[in-house]
Amino acid sequence: MRTTGSRRLRLLAIAGTATLLGTGLAACGDSSGSGEGDTFVFGASAEPKLLDGAFVSDGESLRIVRQIFEGLVTTAPGKTDVRPQLAKSWTTSADGRTWTFLLHEGVSFSDGTPMDAKAVCANFDRWYHFTGVRQSPSVSYYWTTVFGGFAQNEDASLPKSLYSSCTATGGLTAVIKLARPSAAFLSALTLPAFSIASPAALKKYKADEVSGAAGSPRFTGTFGTEHPVGTGPYLLRSWERGNQLVLERNETYWGNKAKTKNVVFKAIPDGGARLQSLQSGGIDGYDLVDPADVKTLKDKGFQLLDRPAFNVGYVGLNQSTPLLKNPKVRQAIIHAIDRERLVKNNYPEGTLVAKAFMPPGVFGYADDVPEYQYDPARAKELLTQAGVTSPKIEFWYPTDVSRPYLPDPAAVFQLVKGDLEKAGFTVTTKSAPWTPEYLDVVQSGKAQMYLLGWAADYGDPDNFIGTFFQKSMPEWGFNNPELTALLDRAEALTNRDRRIEAYQEANRKIMEFVPGVPFVHTQQALAFRTEVQGFVPSPVQNEDFATVSLSTK
Amino acid sequence: MTAADPAPLRQRAAPPDTEQAGISLGRDAWRRLRRDPVAIVGAVLVLLFVAVAFLAPVLAPWGPTDTPGKDLVTPTNVPGPSTEHWLGLDNLGRDELSRVLHGARQSLVVGVVSLLFGAVTGSLVGLVAGSFGGRIDNLIMRLMDIMLAVPGLLFAIGLAALLGHSLTSVMIAVGTVNVPVFARLLRGSMLTQRSADYALAITSLGVRRRTLILRHVLPNSLSPVIVQGTLTLATAIIDAAGLAFLGLSGTDPGVPEWGRMLAETQRYLSSAPHLAIFPGVAIVLAALGFTLLGESLREALDPTYRR
Repeated sequence: MRTTGSRRLRLLAIAGTATLLGTGLAACGDSSGSGEGDTFVFGASAEPKLLDGAFVSDGESLRIVRQIFEGLVTTAPGKTDVRPQLAKSWTTSADGRTWTFLLHEGVSFSDGTPMDAKAVCANFDRWYHFTGVRQSPSVSYYWTTVFGGFAQNEDASLPKSLYSSCTATGGLTAVIKLARPSAAFLSALTLPAFSIASPAALKKYKADEVSGAAGSPRFTGTFGTEHPVGTGPYLLRSWERGNQLVLERNETYWGNKAKTKNVVFKAIPDGGARLQSLQSGGIDGYDLVDPADVKTLKDKGFQLLDRPAFNVGYVGLNQSTPLLKNPKVRQAIIHAIDRERLVKNNYPEGTLVAKAFMPPGVFGYADDVPEYQYDPARAKELLTQAGVTSPKIEFWYPTDVSRPYLPDPAAVFQLVKGDLEKAGFTVTTKSAPWTPEYLDVVQSGKAQMYLLGWAADYGDPDNFIGTFFQKSMPEWGFNNPELTALLDRAEALTNRDRRIEAYQEANRKIMEFVPGVPFVHTQQALAFRTEVQGFVPSPVQNEDFATVSLSTK
Repeated sequence: MTAADPAPLRQRAAPPDTEQAGISLGRDAWRRLRRDPVAIVGAVLVLLFVAVAFLAPVLAPWGPTDTPGKDLVTPTNVPGPSTEHWLGLDNLGRDELSRVLHGARQSLVVGVVSLLFGAVTGSLVGLVAGSFGGRIDNLIMRLMDIMLAVPGLLFAIGLAALLGHSLTSVMIAVGTVNVPVFARLLRGSMLTQRSADYALAITSLGVRRRTLILRHVLPNSLSPVIVQGTLTLATAIIDAAGLAFLGLSGTDPGVPEWGRMLAETQRYLSSAPHLAIFPGVAIVLAALGFTLLGESLREALDPTYRR
């Protein structure tokens, strides 16, 4: 009895395993489509939210929007320089307020409607005329960031819109007028958030049906979930929420057609799980490689591609704290922190130690900003000069988060805290989960000293120091009219050389003022199987999957 | 294991002032403990743990936040054990041995304080229930049953999350989990004692109930509590490490704490496994010490386990 029982069990187990294996193999066969090299599986760090660029600001959504849609202009592969995309060329008027875009001929949306000047203007007018919850910065984040306001601002805190009008003069010429000159406008148009969608599809699939509150908008139309229609090299084939999103080659694409037939995006939030999935062959590549895994990946023979450093990590100092209002104290802090060691211990080899609030790759970077070497003795001396004895400070760090510029916030925090204590500060530890508590505390100006960083969206100094210091912000707690005026002037200049000079000047002013301690510009690594070719990491994550191919043996 | 504590012990365990002619229970237990190799191993581990906790600043070659290896460590290169750093360095260039040794203090403090909190509160609750009986007893014990019905660690996580990030809340959470355990234990053993012959005799002599309970019943009911206390120290250390691992402990990440050390170095598991192994071994050894000692103490004090 017993033996037969256990034998039966064993048989059952074998049968079960065989079935599992069988289905597993079948599934593998299914996903690789019509043959090897036809499907590229990418491990993303999160599920996309929506595939309508106008309403998203998260990298995972924009990564996919970038494949289905195109904008008037884009960035050069691996760089931040502006390149033509739907616009063949463009001119700007002498006053910098009128931009004329000449579009490519014969381009049509994937629903067959023509992509012409009328369609371009329809898109701009759509964004400009957003009402209700669509005006909330959390819904139309990039429009409010770049253009400020709308045709009719419903919230008094929104500024007057930078956008004024768009006219289609002739079939392929779109003229965009701005309310004031802005040199950052063109760079901003490289954002996938400003990509051109089919006006017919927007209407048909009710893209603008948005209800709910600003914090939790509900998109009731199907444009961004099932029917995103653009001009890009890929089409949405299927999106199984919680599992995967599949893109299919657009066979009628007007440019060079995509090399791989299908691209599959799998959301794997845990970095360790992404690594394991790559090792087991579940995915062909993934983003956001943990610096600690770099060696393992290299040893196992995977390729690692670095996204050029286009961010900054810094220690923020809030000058609404009386102690930090004293410039000597801020200088003491910057001298007290051993930034070289901080970067060496926590970031991948070759990571840049920051000396300003923007990385060297951006125009307007000044190599001759005032520098502050690690010098605890000098820090103590400065504190004495400032007449400060036993300074006390509350220092915040975020938990439950890993950003390219802060792969392990607690580790960075401990090193900075140790350095400050050596210089004579008494540091009180404060922490909170990244969203929403930590960002709330910092952005509302309640944190005296904090760890934060910024990853830029487009290649313009306005997106770095303009974002930080052009207007008085509670997190910095100071009002420096001289700096504000300088940055305002720099943004409006249309002569590139004079703009560069103005921003260099601003960078020097900022580092004289020491509003905080910038310490790192990190490059972020992506890992791929060796067969993957043609992926070009972009500093602003404007990455084209159409050029990716999988070599077959 | 708790309420079922056997009657034979109670019969032999006469009140201290009426010592029997033979050997006393205490001396008998001590005799057996000394001969039990398991007890000796447990005691050695516990003594080692306590000694390390007290002498950490003397024993540790570096301070817990000193970074002697700051120029050596990079994310892909965290040096393992060497002659200079016996347990290697951690991801910030701190000496791992010093961190593990200092971590013993934290674990001992959390373990002892939460144990005391749990044992004292639990015993008081049990004392009240055991001395009054009837409706009060019923009410209290049902409340304790409800607490016991929730898995311990889950209960502690909920409580610690509710009380906020601090060491105090961890100690309260871990302690609270043990309240019903001690309450049931003391009440059970008091009930048996109260119905024992000596209690009847004392009552018939006209001694007041309070004197009977505080002077005679309570002292005789305490030995299972002491045994349980030793065993609970082990789980308290593990629970505290578990909470720290889940991110529920003090806010200062620089304080060496075994559970947190495990959690923080998860990222380095493939490249620097020593960062996970040593704090893990420390937790195991400390918990093992208290468990072994507790089990042999129980055997020694409890005649039913007698060989």
